[in-house]
Amino acid sequence: MSIFRIHHITKYEYDRPVKESVNNITIYPYQSADQETLQQELVITGNPDVFTYTDYWGNKEGTFNLLTPHREMVIESKLLIRTLALPDIQVPWDVFMPELDAVIGSDLQLLELARASPVKAVSVMYDYINQIAPANKNITQIIADTCDLIYTHFTYIKGITTIESTVDEILEKKAGVCQDFAHVMLELLRMMNIPARYVSGYICPNKNGMRGEGATHAWVEAYIPGYGWAGIDPTNNVWVTNTHVRLAVGRNFTSCSPVKGTFKGPARQSLSVYVSVGYEDGETFEELNSVQLQKQGENEVPEIIIDTFAGQQQQ
Amino acid sequence: MTGDLLFQQYPFVPHIWDEMKDAEAIRRQYLSIYETVSKLSLQDLEKKDSLASELFMSQGITFTVYSDNEGIERIFPFDIIPRIITSTEWEHIESGIKQRLKALNLFLKDIYNEQQIIKENIVPAALIATCPHFTREIFGIQVPHDIYVHIAGIDLIRGDDGRFYILEDNLRTPSGVSYMLENREVTKRIFPDLLASSNVRMINNYPLLLHDNLVSLVTRQTEDPVIVLLTPGMFNSAYFEHTFLARQMGIQLVEGRDLLVDNQKVYMKTTAGLRQVDVIYRRVDDEFLDPLVFRPDSALGVPGLMSAYRKGNVAIVNALGNGVADDKAVYAYVPAMIKYYLNEEPILPNIPTYQMKNTDEREHVFANMHKMVVKETNQSGGYGMVMGNSATEVELENAKKAILANPRSFIAQPIIQLSTVPCLIDGKLQPRHVDLRPYALCGPNGIDIVPGGLTRVALREGSLVVNSSQGGGSKDTWIVDMEGGH
Repeated sequence: MSIFRIHHITKYEYDRPVKESVNNITIYPYQSADQETLQQELVITGNPDVFTYTDYWGNKEGTFNLLTPHREMVIESKLLIRTLALPDIQVPWDVFMPELDAVIGSDLQLLELARASPVKAVSVMYDYINQIAPANKNITQIIADTCDLIYTHFTYIKGITTIESTVDEILEKKAGVCQDFAHVMLELLRMMNIPARYVSGYICPNKNGMRGEGATHAWVEAYIPGYGWAGIDPTNNVWVTNTHVRLAVGRNFTSCSPVKGTFKGPARQSLSVYVSVGYEDGETFEELNSVQLQKQGENEVPEIIIDTFAGQQQQ
Repeated sequence: MTGDLLFQQYPFVPHIWDEMKDAEAIRRQYLSIYETVSKLSLQDLEKKDSLASELFMSQGITFTVYSDNEGIERIFPFDIIPRIITSTEWEHIESGIKQRLKALNLFLKDIYNEQQIIKENIVPAALIATCPHFTREIFGIQVPHDIYVHIAGIDLIRGDDGRFYILEDNLRTPSGVSYMLENREVTKRIFPDLLASSNVRMINNYPLLLHDNLVSLVTRQTEDPVIVLLTPGMFNSAYFEHTFLARQMGIQLVEGRDLLVDNQKVYMKTTAGLRQVDVIYRRVDDEFLDPLVFRPDSALGVPGLMSAYRKGNVAIVNALGNGVADDKAVYAYVPAMIKYYLNEEPILPNIPTYQMKNTDEREHVFANMHKMVVKETNQSGGYGMVMGNSATEVELENAKKAILANPRSFIAQPIIQLSTVPCLIDGKLQPRHVDLRPYALCGPNGIDIVPGGLTRVALREGSLVVNSSQGGGSKDTWIVDMEGGH
């Protein structure tokens, strides 16, 4: 059991005033038995009313708008949260595929989370699956081996992929950040008919240091009959215990994006994200990331008057 | 040539149900049109025909055909001989459509909330998991009066046994109702006395009924609710219909850029400031409605619209997510839905439908390709369809390959010989195949179906494809009350 103090600031700046900004935020802790929100304070430019609701995957989401002209929008979340999971994961090592197949068949969400998306490099994926050699292995072993394979074969490099990178692009680069590691792992598990979902959240530091600290992080949950959703982090090659804080789950990044929005106005925008995670009364780890947004060129001002943005890549 | 001769020369084709004539004689419901037309000369008829074309042209009643990413605007071909259905037949159709829509509305409520029908394995979960129109973004949203399908255009065909069958359900943004109304207006001009003397039921209250239904969805306490028709704009194939319906109902025609959302309320920008919008009759597809939730590149929609919808501050007609119910593979389960939700036997039967995902059914279809029509589950308007009896061997082989590559995206059905009706073509009355799309309106007080619908006709001899995008035309459709019983 640990208590974490998390500070997450998302800041959009525009070189000219924009208006009619409408936004969706997925920065509330995921409601589940293994984490307890002690306090969350949300401060947004203009102090708008935030309308919250629960989405299809069970995530709490919020919508708000800022209609008047503005050159800056800041979304600041201060969170105090307690994780209740045990420091060691208790996954079963004796559950096999036939048991899973029997459960998936009539469960809509498991079915859709076990359905692979089309990947062009099918042969590359099957090569990886051959290395994992899932036949006769128990499900937990398959999941652990998949995680290990990604950790071993892919290099963690910031800045070479983007928020929109496809699995094919990541396969080609064999590198990326946590979002990319998670997307590849999801596809591999799904191709082996194991339901898997994307998790967006924060990772809390330990003595050894972990990748993805000081930013929003992403990992994977895989379904094991009799146990449920087991979290596993291919970026750090660890099972998820009490040092990960979950914000949202979904099919992929798109359904978990912490902040996305639209605005009107011919302006260039820049985004910076600051995340600090600390033990209550303990050491704090922080990072400020300037995010290169896809849609803006350096010299041209976009002609379109509606622009959309999907926030920061998860690292 | 006289009109009488036209009827005498009208061929009788065995094994096809002709709606005007059986093996011996002209059916009773066609006697009044027979009496009128037989007194006219061919020249008179051709004059009426060209008058009809001029009326359509001058009113700008057009649609757009898409091919190779180019849109071509066309006049919708109109045949002057009405298609006639008796009131007895109509009552059967009407009760069948009402029953079906009740079940489909219950299905949509269920699938976006409790999902009992999946849990009880009546509809396979796998079918929904793979349905591209199952819309997770609207899950759990409560819609007014639990009505999802406010406007339905359910397509019917008549087989060689004279029975009506359900061909497909159109529950998203069914189009064509303006042609139904305009066809009637043109008939009034070219056969002025015939409608009254033939006891044809009236359809002209459709816009009024639709408007009443839209008003019934207003929840705000106001004397002056705002109802708008949201169009993608003038380049849309059905833009004529959007302007037509907005005018007929006296509501504003708007585009996405005319609206904005503030704190989960939708407003229309007017010269006098913002006015809150209560009901949106949208003719924009789901995926373009809100760039924040669906396609981020859409400029046709309104950012934040879904939050206003979720909060219940605006009604959207039809509801979002209806595509899961008119998917062509889900179609096969509608009779099961009727039994499950209503505990009734279907009044109007489905056409047998083979799921290409099922190996046995697929092999049966592959062995009988010449008797089958293959359809993409996700397409409409006659696009993505292969008719086994007219396709080349190469086309059939390609269809098989496409099916094997992605079986969930296809279904197959036995080819049904659609019924025929007489059309005036090249100076002769000639039988042509037709279908029927009645327009049903579901409101809090029940389901209304104006007596009639759009009869689409395959103008090419022998063709069974009636879609306007595939060279079809249309006819005025009469529901007649026959004196002295049937």
